[in-house]
Amino acid sequence: MNVQPDLDFIRTLKEAGGDTLKKCYQCATCSVMCPLSKDGKPFPRKEMIWAGWGMKDKLVTDPDVFLCHHCGDCTANCPRGAKPGDVLSAIRSYAYTFYGWPQPLAKLASSAKGLPMMIGIPVVVIFFMWLISGGMHIPNKEFFAEHGYQQFFGHWDFKWYAKNIFFIVAFMVPSLGLGLFSGIMGISKMWKAMSEQADMNPQYRPSVGQFVTDFIWPSLVEIIKHSRFNECGTHLNRVRGHLPLMLAFIGLFIVTCWSLLKNDVLGLIWPSLHGPLPLTDPFKLLANVSAIALIFGIAVLWSNRKKMETEMSAQATFYDWFLIWEITAVGVTGIAAELLRWAGMPVLGYIVYFLHLVSVMMLFLYLPYTKLAHLLYRTTAYTFEKYRESIFAQNK
Amino acid sequence: MTDEQGTSGAVLVVGGGISGLTAALETAEVGNDVFLVEKSASFGGRVAQLNEYFPKMCPPSCGLEINFKRIRDNRKIRTYTMTTVKSVTGGPGNYEVTLETAPRYVNSNCTACGDCAVACPDEIDNDFNFGMNKSKAAYLPHEMAFPRRYVINKKGLTAAGAEAVKSACKYNAVDLDMQVQTCTINVASIVWATGWVPYDATKMENLKFGQSQSIVTNMMIERMAAPSGPTGGKILRPGDNKEIESIAFVQCAGSRDENHLEYCSHICCMATFKQMSYVREQYPDAKIYVFYIDLRTPGKYEKFREARMADKNATFIKGKVADITIEADGSVTVIAENAVTAEKMSQRVDMAVLATGMQPSLSLQGAPVTLQMDSNGFVISDADKAMISAGCAKKAADVVTCTQSSTAAALKAIQVSRR
Repeated sequence: MNVQPDLDFIRTLKEAGGDTLKKCYQCATCSVMCPLSKDGKPFPRKEMIWAGWGMKDKLVTDPDVFLCHHCGDCTANCPRGAKPGDVLSAIRSYAYTFYGWPQPLAKLASSAKGLPMMIGIPVVVIFFMWLISGGMHIPNKEFFAEHGYQQFFGHWDFKWYAKNIFFIVAFMVPSLGLGLFSGIMGISKMWKAMSEQADMNPQYRPSVGQFVTDFIWPSLVEIIKHSRFNECGTHLNRVRGHLPLMLAFIGLFIVTCWSLLKNDVLGLIWPSLHGPLPLTDPFKLLANVSAIALIFGIAVLWSNRKKMETEMSAQATFYDWFLIWEITAVGVTGIAAELLRWAGMPVLGYIVYFLHLVSVMMLFLYLPYTKLAHLLYRTTAYTFEKYRESIFAQNK
Repeated sequence: MTDEQGTSGAVLVVGGGISGLTAALETAEVGNDVFLVEKSASFGGRVAQLNEYFPKMCPPSCGLEINFKRIRDNRKIRTYTMTTVKSVTGGPGNYEVTLETAPRYVNSNCTACGDCAVACPDEIDNDFNFGMNKSKAAYLPHEMAFPRRYVINKKGLTAAGAEAVKSACKYNAVDLDMQVQTCTINVASIVWATGWVPYDATKMENLKFGQSQSIVTNMMIERMAAPSGPTGGKILRPGDNKEIESIAFVQCAGSRDENHLEYCSHICCMATFKQMSYVREQYPDAKIYVFYIDLRTPGKYEKFREARMADKNATFIKGKVADITIEADGSVTVIAENAVTAEKMSQRVDMAVLATGMQPSLSLQGAPVTLQMDSNGFVISDADKAMISAGCAKKAADVVTCTQSSTAAALKAIQVSRR
């Protein structure tokens, strides 16, 4: 085999937390120690040598890279301090940028250098919306107490559709749409590349329904139950943070969907449905419980990451910290905005609410390129793994 | 010879294994006085525990006996067993060293007739055989012990045992009231030939040493293969004495591993090749599996490796064993990834041999005086201070390299004494 090492790729990995990859001497302790590695072709030893040799094409089409949950058992037992767990994490970070579409946005979201721009885009967009909405004034206390942030973007008398909702939808839906569309572009590209690498038969395919019930659904069940994450040894504590955080996101997703349905569909029929929810409303309750779970989850993950960096001398990377900061920002600004409303502090409240909108828009917009992309790519890898072992993948 | 620093030019050699013996002899045969100090009850060190050793596959009696004879015949060498260095004061050319000798409970009247051992009702774990069998509490350290004198483990002796041992001795050699003794000597330089201990295999939790008798160390195999060993030279599974149909050698068990010994111990690959030949001699059809990271044959041993690799019933797997599971029938399954085929494999075997490495003794017990050491506890020679290291105290090495470095150490020690 004629190896053409991609030196830039190796350099990128080293910067993204894989600085130890060259220490690997291929003893394969990691492959045996890994609780998630399957018996047939285990990982991460093979990924370590591919990374060392700069074999980018092999790595970005290797589902095992995405099946790794960064348990840390390989790293803890590595005789050389090569930290295979951290290297695989760096490979994933590279892969999200590699598959990212559009590329300029993916590149922007891949390093701390892009951070001012990443924050700048939503700040400018939302501020511009605020300017053109005409709502651009800070309310007095009485008004704030009555309406909260419901008229952040002003108010019009068109009873079918609230002005505020109109403006929020105007930038949030395209952001989420772009995020999801780019994400789907990325995972399709990855699926295709993985299929080619695995030499699958493209002629014989399951129906969409079959694909969902046989491959996607079992993967989702596994993910929600954290079945694999729970096998982890060294960093098992991360489950304590990740599980509430994931459930919080599901909870907030449900609340958002309801709010969209209530305001944009049902609100057209019964205009009285517009307005802040009372605290006793089940959806409001779910929202608040989720917000607390989110804060708790991210706090656990934050402290775990810090511990990992001090105890196992993991490199502090933009890839890992961006998501932690981002989720913390969403949670903290969300809860702070609510508290400031109760406290009746309109000026501070409006500023925090503005920041909350910015952080949520960032979450959507950069979803397919940052660490959050794991929810798309890892799910795809789970699905691919099941698909690869199924009858559909047999190339005969 | 002028002696500017006003010493006798004597040299202290700490450790009486192959390196210490060599350093002591080389120094004394040049004309210097030598104090040779050994912690255990007999000289010979680790080499005495081997069945055969490189380069010529001799039994240890081969090399040790001639050295013991040279020492006996050399009036320049004073030997001390069961003795440790307590403190060192002074400076190069004029060290004052305090030695402490633990009670042997047997005095020089002993003729090694063995009557005390026969009479002794008490048994203790035989450390020389790594606890694989028992010895009497009154015992000869090993078959070719030098000095050839019994020793009594007083803690292992009951009151009745003490009485039996005392009355069995015809020569009035048993003295259970013996006390710790200290003495002070003056030397010009000190050779540290403190050797090594096998790395504690229980520290590799994943390799389950101590949890199954089927998991042994390479040094235990040496004792089993030795005619004087616990099984009379037959390699059998400890516990049920099963004959071996399959055996796995687990290389780098705790070596080249920054969680354990970060260096390569230099000898374990060759030791495994040697032990493969023991197994093959006794079991012509046994399956042998060797799990390795890299096979290292330092020196001129490449042909030795080739011969072992030509064995039809031997399989070499590039992949470190990272897990061992204990099976109900007493066998064990070793688990590794074959890095060549990228497949994970589990191999069930009758016995697994952990090729543990060499840990410098001083890194465990500490030196009685400040010595220059590397991060692993190997002693770095400091000629200015007249502290010279030799053998495995200096670096992990085979016998040939040890005797070479001991000869070099002797020369350095002499140079200091005549400065």
